[in-house]
Amino acid sequence: MRFAELLTQAEVKRTHEASLEVLETVGILAHHAGAREVFKRHGCHVDEATGLVKFPADVVEKHVAMAPSSFTFRGRDPQYDRTIPGDGPIVVTGSSAPNVVDPVTRVERRATSTDIANIAYLINELPGFDIFSISTLADDAPAGQFSLSRFYPALKNCLKPVRSNTPNMDDLRQVVELGELIAGGKGAYAERPIINHHYCPMVSPLTMDVDSTEAVMWLTERGLPVYTTVVPNAGLTAPMTMMGCLVVGNAEFLAITAFQQMVREGTPVIYASLPTVADMRTGAYAPGAIETGILLAGQAQLARHYDVPSGGYIGLTNAHGNDAQSGYETGMNTVLGVSAGATLLNMGGLFSSLMAFDFAKAVVDNEIALMDKRVWRGLEFSEDNLALEQIAATGPGGSYMGSKHTKQRMKTTAVLPRLAARDMRAQWEDAGRPDINSRALAEARRILSRPNPAVWDAALDATIRDHFAGLVAGDATPLEALEA
Amino acid sequence: MGDEAIFEQLKQSIVDQDEDAVLDAVNKALADGVDPKTIIDKGLLPGLNVIGEQFEAEDIFLPELMQAALAFQAAMGILEPKIKESGGEGPKKGKIVLGTVKGDLHSIGKNILKLLFETSGFEVWDLGIDVDLFKFVDKAKEVDADIIAMSALLTTTLVGQRDVIEALKDQGTRDKFKVIIGGGATTPEWAETIGADGWAGSAYEAVNLATKLVS
Repeated sequence: MRFAELLTQAEVKRTHEASLEVLETVGILAHHAGAREVFKRHGCHVDEATGLVKFPADVVEKHVAMAPSSFTFRGRDPQYDRTIPGDGPIVVTGSSAPNVVDPVTRVERRATSTDIANIAYLINELPGFDIFSISTLADDAPAGQFSLSRFYPALKNCLKPVRSNTPNMDDLRQVVELGELIAGGKGAYAERPIINHHYCPMVSPLTMDVDSTEAVMWLTERGLPVYTTVVPNAGLTAPMTMMGCLVVGNAEFLAITAFQQMVREGTPVIYASLPTVADMRTGAYAPGAIETGILLAGQAQLARHYDVPSGGYIGLTNAHGNDAQSGYETGMNTVLGVSAGATLLNMGGLFSSLMAFDFAKAVVDNEIALMDKRVWRGLEFSEDNLALEQIAATGPGGSYMGSKHTKQRMKTTAVLPRLAARDMRAQWEDAGRPDINSRALAEARRILSRPNPAVWDAALDATIRDHFAGLVAGDATPLEALEA
Repeated sequence: MGDEAIFEQLKQSIVDQDEDAVLDAVNKALADGVDPKTIIDKGLLPGLNVIGEQFEAEDIFLPELMQAALAFQAAMGILEPKIKESGGEGPKKGKIVLGTVKGDLHSIGKNILKLLFETSGFEVWDLGIDVDLFKFVDKAKEVDADIIAMSALLTTTLVGQRDVIEALKDQGTRDKFKVIIGGGATTPEWAETIGADGWAGSAYEAVNLATKLVS
């Protein structure tokens, strides 16, 4: 597929230069002393009194060039491993919402580890999703097990790669320990690290925090998979122009990428972002707005310039239910991203700009994901696909419906949605006028009513539970049972 | 120039969100011998009231509201010292200890709120970002605050808001302060869950909330 391009090559180059100028003259405020030390050691100018780091252009370019051109996510089952850009576009759930829309009562409430187990199982079964980024927090987490109560039910119920963050180093070490237990030892885990870490150490504009920076440094030193997202917000943390927002985000990406390469040369990265334009009427956060898709399209071009995979949070919605807004915000933005060559779509399952997970929304997003992947396949031009022989054989006035050629391709040429209405109005009325929400929820119930084949064996579970006393149960539960 | 014309000019310069014009009008009023408190009460505050109404009606946007507030603050930079000199300083609307919770470095929303709090007549102690729970508690005690206002943008740092309320309870001082929360990661349900006294979805609403809580 030829990608949609919003910038000329000359404009891409100028945007890159502008970002270098920002890093060289404005700089980055680095709150973590260890990070400042790394920057200083590699040729940046560090003002210890203010924490300001300024980057000579050649230092940035030299280190960014060290970043490999691909990033691999690993799952418990290697058949679900995904490498971008090659396997792209890959679709990831939205993550770390504090709430869930209760699948039975449909009332929003704090999410628990049981919700995470159910979501993990659902995502494992929905073919549009490639990565399970742990969608919610666990309000029932025992003291000292904030992150464990998220990663344990997620990993237990999902064979696909699991991704998330941790708020502090104790939690991070605990989570890596869990990964090592699952892998069967430190050595085995180093070979196949199945926990994919993600952080936002860059706090826009142009600031590096303490806790996430520390986590990224620790993981990068150990060669464990970690990538970061930059989050410029035009009008608040970036200028009120699309290009100004792109430049701030790009400068932040270059700084954190250079940082990771300084810590360990050749560390895989993703150019991931969540760029937004704030709603200036109130200052409201608007990740579902179309400007996010446009900015990510620009970013995809920059990422190709740097030869690194790209994408980010795209297809989020500000809507609070499965309504038209929810559909068009997720749909329009992700199509825009995919057309521009973004291969990581962090899009699934969340309402209210990242505040609440919804089971039905995840099922709807699965279909949108399948459509996005179909867009990526494009027209599949080939001599064979011109189907000239078929056209000749069928002739004017004939039908292609009964041909072998059609039969062989009927399941692959088009997306076959489970939710979209394709029947006649009368049939729809006879069925009680089901809307997208009820159809999606029924599909979630159907999936979760079966026993989960992804759960690991009892011996491993006993080992893990023995190692971490007081761990949450972490088992998926059919939605009917939750009702009772 | 008559007093009425001066007040109208003060008011209009705030409505126009024009800091230079506000300062001109203030200096002119002072030169004309108008009392600083009267300049505020009859000129600047009526202007801010118009701005508030325009903002609620979406006739003006947040950046315009902020510019009006900044222009007001610039005027206060001239007027407040004069009011102090003359010993005529009136009581503030209330005292607020403000900050972003531990682990969270997001400051922009909080800073907008600080500006609006101050503009509406509160005295604000801004503890900044990444604020340890005891810093909130200790500062509130030290300044005898009416309100502790906490922001959190990250869902993973939300618990910091609960920690502060729990610490206040442990120390038996929960009733001494009103605790309000806000920020991108918060909801009214969360406020209820942790036993906060209020939640606001925007800086503008937070000012109304705080005003209600102290009145």
